[in-house]
Amino acid sequence: MKPDQLTAHTFASYPPIAREFASQHLSLLQRLPLAVCPSFLLQIQKLDTSFPAERDALRWQCDSLEQMPVSKFGELVAPFARINLSSQLLTSDWVHAPASFIADLSAFLWSSGEINEFRSASKAFFAAIPEGDVHPHRLSLVVIGRDAETSPANVFHKLKRRGVALTSLDHRNMPQQIFRAFREHAAHSSEPYAHWYVDGGEPWTEAYGSLPGTITISYPTLGPLRKRTLTQMERVVDSGNAGAEQMRTRLASTSPNDLNAAEMTPDPILQRFYTELFTEGSGPQIFSTSFVQWAGRELARRARPETLLLRYAPRQRYRAFDELLRDEETASFDPEGSLRDADMGAWYNWIEINRITAPGNGIFFAWLEGSSQGVLIGKNVPPGTACSTPLNLDQVLATFG
Amino acid sequence: MGLVSSTCLGSSFARAASIAAPRLKTIIVTFGGGARDEETFAEDGQQNIPHLLRDLLPQGTFFTQVINGGILGHYVATASIVTGTYERFNNFIAQPPPNPTLFECFRKELRRPSTDAWVIAPSNGFQRIGSSSHTAFGPQYGAGVILPKRLLSAALNSGKPSQGDRLAHLMQDNYEMPVYQPLESTYDHELHLNTLESTLKLSISDFVHDAKTLDSADELSVFIARQLMRQYSPSLMMLTLHDMDIAHSGAFSLYVDAIQRADRLCADLWSMIQSDPEYKDRTTLYIMPDFGRDADDDPAGNGFQHHRTGGASARTTWLLALGPHIRHNAVVEHPIESIDLVPTIGRHLGFATHSTGRAIEELV
Repeated sequence: MKPDQLTAHTFASYPPIAREFASQHLSLLQRLPLAVCPSFLLQIQKLDTSFPAERDALRWQCDSLEQMPVSKFGELVAPFARINLSSQLLTSDWVHAPASFIADLSAFLWSSGEINEFRSASKAFFAAIPEGDVHPHRLSLVVIGRDAETSPANVFHKLKRRGVALTSLDHRNMPQQIFRAFREHAAHSSEPYAHWYVDGGEPWTEAYGSLPGTITISYPTLGPLRKRTLTQMERVVDSGNAGAEQMRTRLASTSPNDLNAAEMTPDPILQRFYTELFTEGSGPQIFSTSFVQWAGRELARRARPETLLLRYAPRQRYRAFDELLRDEETASFDPEGSLRDADMGAWYNWIEINRITAPGNGIFFAWLEGSSQGVLIGKNVPPGTACSTPLNLDQVLATFG
Repeated sequence: MGLVSSTCLGSSFARAASIAAPRLKTIIVTFGGGARDEETFAEDGQQNIPHLLRDLLPQGTFFTQVINGGILGHYVATASIVTGTYERFNNFIAQPPPNPTLFECFRKELRRPSTDAWVIAPSNGFQRIGSSSHTAFGPQYGAGVILPKRLLSAALNSGKPSQGDRLAHLMQDNYEMPVYQPLESTYDHELHLNTLESTLKLSISDFVHDAKTLDSADELSVFIARQLMRQYSPSLMMLTLHDMDIAHSGAFSLYVDAIQRADRLCADLWSMIQSDPEYKDRTTLYIMPDFGRDADDDPAGNGFQHHRTGGASARTTWLLALGPHIRHNAVVEHPIESIDLVPTIGRHLGFATHSTGRAIEELV
C-alpha cells in the first residue's frame, strides 16, 4: 500500500481517538511520502493514551501542513519522495505497525548512506511548521547532589553560562521554599498533567507542604515496573543469541499490560507514560540519575509541564552489567558520581524545557542540595553572571525571574 | 650438498634483509567507543585528557577534524577504519567485513607471519574483524584477534568459580552490546585457554592473578597488548578501547571516568613503546576515536548518551599521530576521514591497500 491509497477504512482497527484523528487528516496523510507517513501514524496510533499537550501539538502540526501552500509542501516532502525504499519496506504493514517500519527505515537509511539526506529533510520539514500559539509560563526546579560530601568546583558550569550563578543562597528550609514556589506557580493553572514532581529517591515528604494538582513519581514507587522491565531484559540476555536490536525491539513492544502498570494507576495515559520511561530509554532501568533525566526529558517532550520539580538522588554504584540487570539489591551508592551525572542531567533538562518555552516566559532554577550554590535562568538574567548577595528563593525569583 | 635452490636463496636474502633493516611498527588505538570533542579536546573536555594534551600532543601531529561518513555503530565503524572503506553491513551481527583489511594487505604483500598482526578488542562481536570475506584475502592473511573478556571468562570458568564475581568489572558489557556473546561451546572455551597459554605464554593462574590488579576492560586490553609486545613484537597491532561506551547508560560520570582512564592508558602505551628496544624510535602510534557522540542540543538524540543521530558531533572526531617520522607539536585543521588511515599506513609501510580513502599527506 502507498499513502495515496489510504482511506478512512484503513484505520478501522485504530483506537477511537486515533481513528477519528486519522480520518480528519486523511488528505494530509495521503500526500505524505511513505518515508515520512508512518512517523505521523505512529503518533496518531497512540493518541488515545497521549497527553493533551501531545494531541494539541500533533493537531497543530497537521493543521499547519494542511494550510501550507501546495508548492511549499511539495518542496519539503520532495527529498523524502526521492528515497528509493527497499521492497521489504514497501511491502511492510506500515499502517498497523509504524514503529516497526520506522526501525527498519532507520537501518535502511544508515546502510544505504542516505541518513544524512533524510536528517536534513526532516529538519527542514519540521522547521517549516510554525510555533504553536499556546505559551504558558513554565517554572522548572532541579535539585542535585543529595548525600554528596564533595562537589566539583565547576558544578552547574554549563547552566551558569546561560544564567546567574547564585553563590550565597539562603538554603535554610530550601525544600519548603521550593515547595512554596512550586505551589504558587501551579496554582495559576488547573490543566491536567501540567504539574509534576519527579524524585530519584524517596520524595520529599508532606512535611514541606502538599503539592495539590501535582503528579508525583519516584524511582522507588515505580520500582515494580522497573523490576519487571529488568526481568524482560534478562530474558533477552539469557536467550544467549540476541543483540542490542532485539533488546530494543523487545522493550519497545512491551505494553503497560505486560508490566501490569494498572497497579500503579488507573489512568491509561499515565500507565503508558510510566511504562515507556523504562522501555524506551536506556539507563532508567539501572540508574536513578538516568531515570530522573529521562523522565524530565520525556515530560518536556510529551506532557509539556508548566510546573516541574526534578530531584536527583544517589544512584547505585556501578557494577558489571549483568549484575545490574539481575537487580541484585545493593547497599552501595555513588553520591559523588551521581552528582556529576545529575549536573549534566540538569543541563539536559534545561535544554528540553527551553525548547518548549517561549522566550522570556520561563524560569529555570537549579540547586546543589544542602549548599548555598544554585543557578537561575530567567528573563531578567544576564547570562554568565554571578550573584553573591545572600538571597532566599523568593527573593531570587523576585529579582531575576 | 653445497647447492641451494634459488627459492631458498631468495627467502634467505629476504629474511636477512628484514633482520638487517629494523622493521617499522604501527599501533592503532581507537579511543572509544565513541568520544565527543566536548569531553576531550574541546575546551570543557581538556581536563579529562591531561596525558594526551600535555604529554603526547607535543610529540605528535594532531588532526582536529576527522569525519566518519559511515554507519556509527562500533563494530561496523571499526571495520571501516581497518578496511579504509565505509562498510554497510549490520552492526549487530558479527561478520567479516567484505573489503580487505589493513592486516590482510600488510601480511599478504609484505609476507609477514601470522604473529606479526594483532587486534585486541574488548567488545564481544569483534571476533571477525581480523580478516575479510574477500576472495583474494581471508583468515590466512588476517590478524590474530584477542578478546580479553572472553579470555578472562574462559580462565575464570576453568578455575575457582568464586573468582568470577570479583572480576566481573573487567568483563562488563553495556547497553549496545548486552548480549553479543554467543553461547560458547567447549571447543571455544578450550580455544581461549589455548590462546592464553600458547599465544600469550600466560598460565591461567598468572593471568587471573594479574587481572585482579586491573580496574577495567580497557586496562585488561592494554595488559594483553603488553604481553603480545613482549612475546612477538608485532609490527601491526590495533587496540580498541571501549569502556567509555558505558555512556549508553546515561551516567555521565562513568563515561568521563572511562575517558580519563583511556587517556592514561594511551600514555602508558606510549611509555611501553619508548621503553621497549623493539619499538622505540620505529613505532608510529595513531590514536583516534571510532566516532563521536550526539550533540547536547540535537533534538534527535540525548546528548552524550548515544550516537544515533548522524549529526556533526557524532561524525566528527580527531586523530593524534606520534612516531619518528611525524612532526612534533603540529596541528592540522583541514578535515580528513577515518577511512584515510589505512592508505596512510599502507603508504608509510610500503604496501597497497583497497581503501577508498586518501593517504594523509602530513603523515606519509
